[in-house]
Amino acid sequence: MTERETDGDQTLHGSLHSLRGEYEEIKEIYRTRRQDMPEAQVSMNVRKASEKVSIIDVEGELTAFAEDLLMDAYNQASDGQARAIILNFEDLEYMNSSGIGLLVTLLIRINREKQQLLTYGLSDHYKSIFQITRLDDAISTYDTEEEAVRAANAM
Amino acid sequence: MIESSPPPGEKGEKQPRDTPLWAQRVERLEVSDVPEGAANVNVQGRREVGALQGFGQLWQKTYRVRLAGLEKTPEEVVREWKEHFPEFLPLNSRFYPSMEGVAPGEVLFISASVGGMPVHTGVRVIYADDESFTVMTPEGHPESGWNTFSAYQDDDGATVAQIQSLARANDPIYEVGFRIVGATQQERIWTHVLKSLAAHFSVNEPVSLEKVCVDPKVQWSQVRNVWHNAGARSMLYTITAPLRWRRASQD
Repeated sequence: MTERETDGDQTLHGSLHSLRGEYEEIKEIYRTRRQDMPEAQVSMNVRKASEKVSIIDVEGELTAFAEDLLMDAYNQASDGQARAIILNFEDLEYMNSSGIGLLVTLLIRINREKQQLLTYGLSDHYKSIFQITRLDDAISTYDTEEEAVRAANAM
Repeated sequence: MIESSPPPGEKGEKQPRDTPLWAQRVERLEVSDVPEGAANVNVQGRREVGALQGFGQLWQKTYRVRLAGLEKTPEEVVREWKEHFPEFLPLNSRFYPSMEGVAPGEVLFISASVGGMPVHTGVRVIYADDESFTVMTPEGHPESGWNTFSAYQDDDGATVAQIQSLARANDPIYEVGFRIVGATQQERIWTHVLKSLAAHFSVNEPVSLEKVCVDPKVQWSQVRNVWHNAGARSMLYTITAPLRWRRASQD
């Protein structure tokens, strides 16, 4: 760039040409990087267990990249008259501390709407993480969907 | 304080790849080796408290510094951050890691000065991977929640170092303190850390801060947290130092 800035007027046309070339090269780099950027390695499916209970099936990795998907899923699950939201973690493959933070913000939103948050399908490892982070103080965990739905309907 | 890798799940299930990255669950903090210079006050026997157990408003604060021009990956930045962690803190907030350093399960002791008052406490590393580590606070700490220190590459390929805090003030005394002056002091500390980290890599870039009040309500059910207030207990510890010295010299 320094070299281009020192170009004289007689080379202006050549400079513009090389700038255009560099611009195209930069666009290609951005396109490549965007493809390489880590995307949310998670999918979420929303379904109804009953009139007042919705289930969000979380499959994959719960990290910071999952925030938009999780909140969209919650909006869908909460649409209507849902009083309880159940997170199905049977197919959870990975969760880091940012994922825990997401669950906290989701819980706050749910409580603000006077709803309940429950989970089922956590492996022993992730149950332990819920205990380490003391999420289990506020989020009930169950082994099966049937137990979770029964508990949600009873609330 | 070294914790071994957790055994296979009780049902013989395959362990997720993040299993060794998390600390083991403990009922209360147990500390065997106290680093020189640290005070094991308000750490031993304390329970850990997260963002749901505190009293005050819940804030998420994200501090970032873009390490422009630095040709190091996020993993390399976080490796050096772990190695030199205490050096990046301001003089009024000293961290004392154990011999094992920043690793899952390790306790980092803290001796800070808040408004001229000593506060001895600590945090425990609950998660650490190549690109981040997270600490959780114990009862009595000014905050109840987590701080995550991490690095990532932005859209332009530059490495960005980040500190993200998700926490409430632990009790009403801290909440009042934070609302009057404490929040600014805390923000200065983390800003200092990122500036120091950047300077370590010969980078001089501004630190940005995003603040979101996730929950504006205080949790009156947690008002009894004040019993463990590390500031009050640290002051008592300091005041009674002559008594302990006298007792030690008589022994």
